[in-house]
Amino acid sequence: MGLAARAVEAVGIPTISLSIVREITEKIPPPRALYLRFPFGHALGEPGNRDQQLTVLYLAFRLLFEADRPGTIRNAGLRWRRETYLPPDWEAFRRLGPGAHGAQ
Amino acid sequence: MSLARLKNRLLARAFTVFPSLAERWGRGLAADRGAIPWDSPRKPLREATLALVTTGGVHLKTQPPFDMTDPNGDPSFRELPVDTPQASLVITHVYYDHRDAEEDLNLIFPVERLRELVERGALGALNPLAFGLMGHIDGPHLGTLRKETAPAIARKLADAKVDYALLVPA
Repeated sequence: MGLAARAVEAVGIPTISLSIVREITEKIPPPRALYLRFPFGHALGEPGNRDQQLTVLYLAFRLLFEADRPGTIRNAGLRWRRETYLPPDWEAFRRLGPGAHGAQ
Repeated sequence: MSLARLKNRLLARAFTVFPSLAERWGRGLAADRGAIPWDSPRKPLREATLALVTTGGVHLKTQPPFDMTDPNGDPSFRELPVDTPQASLVITHVYYDHRDAEEDLNLIFPVERLRELVERGALGALNPLAFGLMGHIDGPHLGTLRKETAPAIARKLADAKVDYALLVPA
């Protein structure tokens, strides 16, 4: 995972990786990783939980634009279950981009 | 089912139920101290083309499955057209419990959610080809992944002129 992300980044394509085991990600860090303490096989959460899946993607893309050094591992701070997920804020999604005002 | 396969399946379930097992395993891995490449994102997401890469062992039913008999894993990759119906995709990977992912492939291969982003104007486009690998690569295959597989995928993404890549583990 870390190796694949590094190879893609090395040809000039910025990458964002999800991570579910921080200890593994720390050994071969990709350029940017969003850490979720979710079980194996559940990087985007629970089956059928669309709001949860879109929340994970929103946080991942925010990190793509906000990370400022290689090897950044940000804790998403999301709980696996018993977390309330709001429906997606599409306006916030459409604002995601490089620069200080891209992501809020 | 062979005994080795049964053992792998039980281990996979244990790792899924007890994340601390995976954390302990991770602490035992060798650290890679090589320089981490970096390129700054330049395009807003709404104008960008994104490629999806999963290490969850996803492949088309018509493609050869990942080799589960090699204890060091299978370092090859599969090209996955993103418009493939979920029923034509399959997961070959005995090292994690993928019953939930089979029910909702978005957990490790979120094409439906990414397509929604495109429809809502949040993402410019999804690259027509996604890439499937299996995690759990070890031993001599790590060299193959580093020197052959990963650079081959990177070249294909560069040729396709994608702007960003999202990598999802299992």
